[in-house]
Amino acid sequence: MKASHLSVVIDLSLTHWELSAREPPENTDPLTLNAFLSQLLVFLNAHIACSHENTLAVFGAFPGKSVMLYSSTDPARDLVSNTINANAYPPFNAVDSAVVQRIMAELDLLENHEQEAPSALVGALVKALCYVNRITLPPSSNSKAQANGFHPGVLPDPRILILSVSPDLSTSYIPIMNSIFSAQKLKTTIDVCQIYGPNTVFLQQAAHLTGGSYIFLERRDALLQYLIARLFACTCMSFLPPPSIRKTLSVPTQEQVDFRAACFCHKKIIDIGFVCSVCLSIYCQPLPVCTTCRTKFPMKTLQRLSQVTSGSSGPVTNNGVGHSKNGVR
Amino acid sequence: MSIHLSAPAEQEHSPHSLIPFLQSQSQSLLTRLYQRPSACLSIFRLLAPLQQQIVMNLLWLESAIASSTMAAWVVRDAKRNYDTALLSLFRLHILPTSPVKLALNPTFKSSMRQSLTGGGATGSFGVPADMDNSYSPMTVEALDGYALERWETILHYMVSSGTGQTSLRPSKDVLFLLEQSGLMGSHNGSFQITSSGFQFLLHSPHAQLWALLLEYLRMAEARSMDLVEVLSFLFMLSTMELGREYSTEGTNSTPAAVQTQKAMLSDLRDYGLLWQRKPSSRRFYPTRLSTTLTSSSPPLPTSSGPSSGVKEGFIVLETNYRVYAYTDNPLQTAVLNLFVSLKYRFPNLVVGAITRESVKKALANGISAEQIISYLIAHAHPQMRKNNPLLPVTVQDQIRLWELERNRLKSHEGFLYTAFASPADYQLVLNYAKQLDVVVWESGAKRCFFATAEGHAHIKGFIERRTGAGGEV
Repeated sequence: MKASHLSVVIDLSLTHWELSAREPPENTDPLTLNAFLSQLLVFLNAHIACSHENTLAVFGAFPGKSVMLYSSTDPARDLVSNTINANAYPPFNAVDSAVVQRIMAELDLLENHEQEAPSALVGALVKALCYVNRITLPPSSNSKAQANGFHPGVLPDPRILILSVSPDLSTSYIPIMNSIFSAQKLKTTIDVCQIYGPNTVFLQQAAHLTGGSYIFLERRDALLQYLIARLFACTCMSFLPPPSIRKTLSVPTQEQVDFRAACFCHKKIIDIGFVCSVCLSIYCQPLPVCTTCRTKFPMKTLQRLSQVTSGSSGPVTNNGVGHSKNGVR
Repeated sequence: MSIHLSAPAEQEHSPHSLIPFLQSQSQSLLTRLYQRPSACLSIFRLLAPLQQQIVMNLLWLESAIASSTMAAWVVRDAKRNYDTALLSLFRLHILPTSPVKLALNPTFKSSMRQSLTGGGATGSFGVPADMDNSYSPMTVEALDGYALERWETILHYMVSSGTGQTSLRPSKDVLFLLEQSGLMGSHNGSFQITSSGFQFLLHSPHAQLWALLLEYLRMAEARSMDLVEVLSFLFMLSTMELGREYSTEGTNSTPAAVQTQKAMLSDLRDYGLLWQRKPSSRRFYPTRLSTTLTSSSPPLPTSSGPSSGVKEGFIVLETNYRVYAYTDNPLQTAVLNLFVSLKYRFPNLVVGAITRESVKKALANGISAEQIISYLIAHAHPQMRKNNPLLPVTVQDQIRLWELERNRLKSHEGFLYTAFASPADYQLVLNYAKQLDVVVWESGAKRCFFATAEGHAHIKGFIERRTGAGGEV
């Protein structure tokens, strides 16, 4: 059986988890961080259960900070409690306690700050990608990976699962796009589950471009008990199968992908944009000079484009090259 | 590179060797086995990836779902894979056979859930022993050394039995097991390795271990041991942690179970699957052999030399048929000696050559050319892995050609008819035999022919009716 690697990126933005946990008038069915974590741990166990060789890494995106919570190649021995339970499989115990302890420790550190920074989802994603890169390197150049039981040439099927609760952060458009490209290069699939909040445009694109699946948990109806079962079944069904199995057992994919981009000038998500014909930078309004590559655009086009935007008649493209705009809801 | 790509695909087609054995067991026995979370987890690991996903998807559903709902998830081209996966789960009684609804066996479902979430009080993952300060704990290295020594004793005994050299004898029970499994047999009054035993030697350690354990399970049935206890003990071992001491006292065991466990402890100690300070000790350490039972590409201690530190391959094969094996392991040398004519030995290196004679000797022992090639590929030195293809094509082809050479001769059982008095007699009998279509070979000059055994009665009767002009020798 081929080993597969899973990196999980958890969005631990306290503000949004708190919103998610609020009682009925605001939420039809609240989901607290604790309830979520207990389901997550079972999901992690399920991944390890599939094969002895499966590897796992967990990254936490805390407000303003990203931390690696657990990795199976170098488990933090000191954190793993030495008690062993006759009723549990030891590796499960190790993962569960390591993840929970690290999250609690990090959350304790956070409470000093009044103002919460946005969660460092991109940082965690990039760390996950770096980790994938490290373990997929040929072992000859990396003796450490070899010592940890990686067989030469057997690349673990790498995947990244993002569990997000916060909305899009438009400033992170460029780094997310760059991560998507490196994920494509590493042949890594990115799966996204938006647990709370609105659909995120960027993560949708991440899943779409890397061949992963994006699930937006919008129907959080029914009882809490039911939700737990549903969320979990849904998560298992969609995110546990490694890419090789997805050829047989299809996973939900998006019917519509929001391909909107954020402009480079104001970091706004835009429906209609202007693209530099030289470097493909995106702007929300016509500019005489591209701020990225310093290309000067002819005055005539600029005037024409300005007219069109003020008149706002029909979709206008750009200074030369068409920019895709579809899937807008 | 080709080998890496082909290996997993191959495994997908053939299920783990234990699965057919489990499928042949009764439903009640399996359901009893599924009461233990550790057994469920281990069996789950032995399933094919697609089967695992089906189980996982059904695991968290409270009610049964319609088969058509589940089938809707399947990509059309992969329908056949899906159906075979379901069939296999039916036969394991993980899924009760039902044409319309799909739901897991309730016992399996609750145990599997328990294994993932933890909790319960079955103690099926092994009861850890209390800290004992009177002895220093065993290190992982010492356990590896012990397992390796045990396992290699068995294999080395098998190899050397054919050559007449003497080596350390494993215990009586092990010898009995080897005989039962047909790997060794009495030959000319001495206990010798059989041709399936030679093939066994070239398998991966993991396959060897399971082959022996399967035989052990079959024997356990004959010894009227409780198969559920035997299996769950094996599965419990496979989920234990290496380098940790466990207590033999289970939480809820009947006297019969205790008896079975005691017998198994001593048997498995002989195979090197676990270590005990004294035979009567109430605590034991599992070794790497047992903790990697349910993994597929384990770093078994047998796959590496004990002191040379070679983690994977050690064989370099050149286009001139020379073999350089960087090993000081007597077992590996002995296995190589099966099909390589060894020339020199150095402290860490054995040099030999693959010759027609050496390969023919191996073929005569029942080893096939493919097995030799796959052994060479599996143990190729890291330097060799840069080559594409891995082994020199000339050598591979030549080994196959040598095997084909053997097939030039076909054997037929039959009788040679000779000493005919006259050419007419000879022609008459030959014609009769030809009508029956039993003639394999004929020679008019020597006046004799050879016919298959089936025709003998007819020809004999024919000759006797002709009043004995010819005879047979």
